[in-house]
Amino acid sequence: MVPESIRIMFQKTGRLRYISHLDLCRTMQPAMIRARIPLWYTEGFNPHPKMVFAQPLPLFVTSKCEFLDIKIVEDVSCEEIKRRLREAFTDELYVTDVYKPTDKFTEIAYAEYEISGIAVTAQDVKGLLSGSIEVKKRTKSGAEKVIDIRPQVRSVTLRPDGVIECVLSASGSEYLNPDIFAKALAASVGIEEPDCDITRIKWYKADGNVFK
Amino acid sequence: MELSRILKKVLKPGRYTGGEYGQIIKDKTKMAARFAFCFPDSYEIGMSNLGMRILYHAINLMPDVYCERVFSPLPDMEAQMRENKLPLFALETLDPVKEFDFMGITLQYELCYTNVLSMLELAEIPLYARDRDESFPIIVGGGPCAYNAEPLADFFDVFSIGEGEEALPEMIRLYIDMKKSGSYSKEKFLRELSHIEGFYVPSLYEVSYNSDGTVKAYAPKYPDVPSVVRKRIIKDMDKAPFPDKFVMPYIETVHDRITEEVYRGCIRGCRFCQAGMIYRPIREKSPDVVNSQVKCIYENTGYDEVSLLSLSISDYTRLSELTEKLLTWTDGEKVNLSLPSLRADTFSKELMDRISSVRQSGLTFAPEAGTPRLRDAINKNVTEEEILRACSLAFGGGKTNVKLYFIMGLPTETYEDIDGISAMGSAVVNEFYKNPNRVKGRHPQVTLSCACFIPKPFTAFQWDAQDSLEALNEKQQYLRGKISDKRVKYNYHGVKSSRIEAALARGDRRLSAVLYEARKLGMEFDAWDEHFSYEKWEQAFKNAGIDMGFYANRAMGLDEVLPWDIIDIGVTKEFLKREYKKSRESLSTPNCREKCAGCGANRMGGVTPWCPKA
Ligand code: SF4
Repeated sequence: MVPESIRIMFQKTGRLRYISHLDLCRTMQPAMIRARIPLWYTEGFNPHPKMVFAQPLPLFVTSKCEFLDIKIVEDVSCEEIKRRLREAFTDELYVTDVYKPTDKFTEIAYAEYEISGIAVTAQDVKGLLSGSIEVKKRTKSGAEKVIDIRPQVRSVTLRPDGVIECVLSASGSEYLNPDIFAKALAASVGIEEPDCDITRIKWYKADGNVFK
Repeated sequence: MELSRILKKVLKPGRYTGGEYGQIIKDKTKMAARFAFCFPDSYEIGMSNLGMRILYHAINLMPDVYCERVFSPLPDMEAQMRENKLPLFALETLDPVKEFDFMGITLQYELCYTNVLSMLELAEIPLYARDRDESFPIIVGGGPCAYNAEPLADFFDVFSIGEGEEALPEMIRLYIDMKKSGSYSKEKFLRELSHIEGFYVPSLYEVSYNSDGTVKAYAPKYPDVPSVVRKRIIKDMDKAPFPDKFVMPYIETVHDRITEEVYRGCIRGCRFCQAGMIYRPIREKSPDVVNSQVKCIYENTGYDEVSLLSLSISDYTRLSELTEKLLTWTDGEKVNLSLPSLRADTFSKELMDRISSVRQSGLTFAPEAGTPRLRDAINKNVTEEEILRACSLAFGGGKTNVKLYFIMGLPTETYEDIDGISAMGSAVVNEFYKNPNRVKGRHPQVTLSCACFIPKPFTAFQWDAQDSLEALNEKQQYLRGKISDKRVKYNYHGVKSSRIEAALARGDRRLSAVLYEARKLGMEFDAWDEHFSYEKWEQAFKNAGIDMGFYANRAMGLDEVLPWDIIDIGVTKEFLKREYKKSRESLSTPNCREKCAGCGANRMGGVTPWCPKA
């Protein structure tokens, strides 16, 4: 069978927020083996299964919507793959959907997050968005420089329950780490080290349609 | 919650969160007893320990008991926990350990003793057993160091001696039964427990000393308390509980692979080796059982590497049958087989082909000593020819690296024996160039790795003094000076930490005071080079008013009462004495397969391929 691409949509929640992207990748291979997913292996000296994540999830951030693409070489239905993966993962790594993908990862333009635990008013949010949002950033050489992240912030909404919904750039070079935004938001109301929860909710393409 | 805030500030928070695939989940409110299985070292080291996996599984087989895991937090986490007054917690429920019924601490090496105390302290549990009332968990020790855990005697309520798969559930059952019937008190429970084979309750013995500082006697305080505690063994390894699932760590640990035990015990009887004695008699699993267990774990974990564990894998009576069975499916599933603990004398081309059919790994052999004379004295029955032949096979098979392990400071050692170490390095290098099938255009790399001799209880060398620091340093410098060949690499293990190990290994209960002082000095993670401080240990001994040399560097008398005489490991003291005497004449003893040497372990019973019926 010609290797076929399969997209796995999953949640990463709870204690898994403390597990880095790298560690997650590392543990994915045994998980796939115990789920008996007929993975396609690269050829060559050191064969390894092909697995591509849409984007790394920063440490301490949870997600309702992550994507992993794999290739399979046997005919197994998406339903069956979903069933097997649910068994091979814990509930904190919960597979929500498995399907044959049409959208490409390169089409991802924005990601939506929920931030809770930072007390701000609608006025604060408005103020933040009205000008540039300057944050300090370390360059590769170690020097500190100030950059404006405002262009990467598409929208910010304060929900009545106090949760902040925001849509941030997520395409390659424009990617904005939600943690940096949360810190900037907190700093704008005088909070130095915010103890907040961040959750990735969904993704959008450049045309505003939901990425799937 | 406090924990979630702390976890954002420490390195590798995944060490402290639990929640891995394969972790056992039970309803804690429905449990008759809760057991905190503590490994006094980091998560990465503890999670790779097969003994812990087995016991976690065995205890959790009890439907009304919940066994959870606890590891030593690293210093950054410890500082956060202390600052935020967060007591030591277990990974499954994140509940404080002090709320458990049992805190079981596995004692894998002497240098973890300081971590044991720091874990108790972090758990907010008083260190001394006598200071703990009924509200605290029962503190139970186990593992290889429990065979002489006297230096920890003041801190523990009980030690489980020998294999725990059956003993620990029995202990917990007794506890539950006594609680249910209303007859429980800690004192009554410990007394009752002392009647069960394999449980040593240190507080039930009065220890007296001679004027020269040696032990005079261990006297049971009550007539019903046994005067000798015999270890426990699993009689039939095919029927022993084995973990069909592993807890799968998210973060990288020391061994992220399947480890499967093939047999326990050892036929060899090296005179310095404690494991070779305490795990006797030899009990094997049958190839079918090993094969089906490995397959089952593979399916449940997805690990693609299998390591077959034993003290000397090539001594397994049915090794080729086993590897054949495994290879029928492992190759197809892209699963690698690795066989640590190979012996040079039984190393064959066939064996090498099987392991390298899957993955190249460097080869290591352990001649232990540099001359035939000393190898006879330590009963390491392997000849130079066998070692060279094994290396040659490896070179012919495409390897260029071999590593040879030696021990320096062995009883009866002379400088001639040390010359022999460097001579063997050169001989192995020559062997490479003699081999027409060697990898052309490459040079060999021979590593000579030297550890220091540590006299251990329950060995033929238990009476021997360790060389002084000066003598060991001199020997190492001497050997270093002898090696000039770039193709020979020499490395050695810390002399100072070996001295501490020796003192603790042969210690009596007076050393509890030293460990207490060590805790006051904030010592921990002594098994880690970057944390070990000899100066602090000296300070701790000094503060306790105890001479380290009395334990590490004193030759003990053959008729002396030893602190560990209270334990019966099966192998008799008489046998060890015979072995000691033979060593002084550089006489070797045949292995169990050739001829039973009458060590006494057959008295333990069990399904064993070699031992005569007792
Ligand atoms: S009783 Fe004999 S065969 Fe058995 S372990 Fe001892 S020496 Fe070996």
